[in-house]
Amino acid sequence: MISNMGFLAFLRRDLRLINRRRGEVASPLIFFLMAATFVPLGITPDAELLKNIAPGIIWVMALLATLLSVDSLFASDYQDGSLEQMLISPQLLVMPVLGKVTAHWLTTGLPLTLVSPLLGLLFSLPTAGYLPMMAGLAVGTGCLSLLAALGAALTVSLQRGSLLLTLIVMPLYMPIIIFGSATAQYSIEGLAWSGPLAILGAMLAVAIALCPLAIVTVLRLTTIN
Amino acid sequence: MNFQFDNVSGMLHMAGHGIYVWTAVLVTLALIAWLIINPLLQRRRVIKEIAQDVSREQLRQNASGESV
Amino acid sequence: MNWNWFYRMGSPRWFYESTSRWLPWFGALTVLLLVSGLVWGLAFAPQDAKQGNSFRIIYLHVPASFLALAGYFLMAAAGAIGLIWKMKLSYMVMKCAAPLGAVLTFLALFTGAVWGKPTWGSYWVWDARVTSMLILLFLYMGVLALQYAFDSKDVANKASAILALVGTVNIPIIYKSVDWWFTLHQPATIRFTEAPSMHPDMFQPLLVMILGFYCFYAVALILSVRVEILSRERKTSWVRSLVKQATHNSLGAE
Repeated sequence: MISNMGFLAFLRRDLRLINRRRGEVASPLIFFLMAATFVPLGITPDAELLKNIAPGIIWVMALLATLLSVDSLFASDYQDGSLEQMLISPQLLVMPVLGKVTAHWLTTGLPLTLVSPLLGLLFSLPTAGYLPMMAGLAVGTGCLSLLAALGAALTVSLQRGSLLLTLIVMPLYMPIIIFGSATAQYSIEGLAWSGPLAILGAMLAVAIALCPLAIVTVLRLTTIN
Repeated sequence: MNFQFDNVSGMLHMAGHGIYVWTAVLVTLALIAWLIINPLLQRRRVIKEIAQDVSREQLRQNASGESV
Repeated sequence: MNWNWFYRMGSPRWFYESTSRWLPWFGALTVLLLVSGLVWGLAFAPQDAKQGNSFRIIYLHVPASFLALAGYFLMAAAGAIGLIWKMKLSYMVMKCAAPLGAVLTFLALFTGAVWGKPTWGSYWVWDARVTSMLILLFLYMGVLALQYAFDSKDVANKASAILALVGTVNIPIIYKSVDWWFTLHQPATIRFTEAPSMHPDMFQPLLVMILGFYCFYAVALILSVRVEILSRERKTSWVRSLVKQATHNSLGAE
């Protein structure tokens, strides 16, 4: 069997660790739902208008919820020193990092995707939009997790890193929200939604290829000094 | 190539667009000037700081020289 | 091939001393270009048939936008050179390019907004170019914030360099995505700040202004880098003797 070079090991490790603080997984989800309630209260409860902005609003909420959850990616490992142990070991770290980020996605992006139909309901999303929206979210949140991990790596050693993290990562998120929202919107307008989805997929592929390498480099830089 | 306005006040007024154009010009010039002046001021400050450091070290050297 | 010239360029002292010689001339050139370009554009270039005199803001807006974007690439390139060749001077250039570029981006946005009001009726219109420029400002702010977040200068330099490079890779993606989004959603109006075909009488002063802005950028950047060099190299003998001479001169003048 081909070795996965630590991917599965770290995936399982992080899932087990996250499982011990299950409450933390729920917070981004609850934020997702609650913040969505701000929209009809703050903007308009009119179903017709909500229908038009539904894909975009859901994506904005998903983005914000992801940003909330990113802190925990490297923080606890950094604080108890296990991150440093990881980094000084001689093995290649690209796969373990990918495993950690996958664990993060499984506990934030994936639940967001699965809960999103509920928000679609709240915003009167047209039926045609549900599947494309979920597909877009599933792929897009993968990108979001990877980019967020890069930001987390850059700010892991800082005291008040989380705000700086959001500042760094938000411009990088803009293309993802464009194509993510477009996936659902295309379908609602009757166009082929595989187009934007394919672009999202391409972005995810590039992110999977490049981000772990960058993350390892940055972690080595900011943690060991 | 000829002067586009009847007179200087015409140039200031720019057929109603004057306030916009001149605001843009003034803000631009102000920022450009600041981006040049700021480093010059900082240079002066840094030189003064280093000079103080040098003189402080000299005093210390002289003092330790005398005590020996 | 003899790479000595490249490594010599990386010496802060060499940079400081050689720029001391020709920078004043370059500054004079900058002033010449900017003043002549501005006077030409504001007073002697014809006004636009559709936009009238507000069109003249183009002589400020376009150069600022060019430099804002070029400045980011320069900042990232300086960061890359610093990472690859571990050149201190390159990191200093990167550090100084960040606030300079951010101010120019703000200037581009400001002049664009002021241009928009008389021409299209509102200060802010979400369109591809404006949105891309705004995102560029955010990218600059991220690099700036990261630069000042670390205690260790070494870590700060490397982290900022990496972030600047990530930003550079993303800029084409961002620009293309935003462009695509707005071609979907843009109502059928003229593209904001688009000057489709320009008469040479309008284009020539613009060229002068663009050149003048590039020169200005170089001058401002070099001035900042010189200060950074003095500050960081303060313990070296050449800086010390320079400071002694400078204070002697100023005392002598009194």
